[in-house]
Amino acid sequence: MMQAMPRALAVAALVLALGTIVAFGVLLQRPVPVPVPPAVYLGALGLAVVLAALAVARSRRWLPVSALAISVLLLGLAGYFHFVLARVPATPTALVIGRPAPDFTLPDAAGRPVSLADYKGNKPVVLVFYRGYW
Amino acid sequence: MEAAGVEILAISPDPNERSQDLADRLRAGYKFLADRDLAVARRLGLIHVAGGAEKQDVPRPATVLIDKDGIVRWMALADNIQSRPDARDVLRAVRAL
Repeated sequence: MMQAMPRALAVAALVLALGTIVAFGVLLQRPVPVPVPPAVYLGALGLAVVLAALAVARSRRWLPVSALAISVLLLGLAGYFHFVLARVPATPTALVIGRPAPDFTLPDAAGRPVSLADYKGNKPVVLVFYRGYW
Repeated sequence: MEAAGVEILAISPDPNERSQDLADRLRAGYKFLADRDLAVARRLGLIHVAGGAEKQDVPRPATVLIDKDGIVRWMALADNIQSRPDARDVLRAVRAL
């Protein structure tokens, strides 16, 4: 019992930490990607660190210690991704609430030109700028 | 959203064929427009400089509501590449027009 407890905690931490990373990747590879929200993956990895730390507090054997090391490493990498790599710097935009949107023309999927002005006096428009898949 | 009488224009540097393919698979009632060289995103100031995987410029994720008179009424500019506005917030802004 004294031995099984830290081992179970360590295994749970590893499953949670590695499972989070695998789920993140698998969901992004789907035809319609499902991004895992930062609060979910950071929370799951944080919980893995707590579980592994509890395991280490009970036993300093290699399994709890490596579970803690792996959980901390993955939490650190995920935090670096979210707080540093994924940040978009604020830049000045030509769009101002209450002011006219600059007109533009772009080809649709069939190659036909579509202008923002086509909708003026007709219906509201929602523009969704997205990164695409390149 | 289409039921609310709004046209949704999805704009990215993706080639037309891939966007069309995606639209068909999603049965999405919106138009995909190809901004191949990011000229429009650049003109509107919606560029994430060197934000791509190969340090290329990419669009800054943004959602912009423009009313019938061509006036910007609501927008959400991402401060993180993972963040997107909640569809309910967009719909609320549409209903408030």
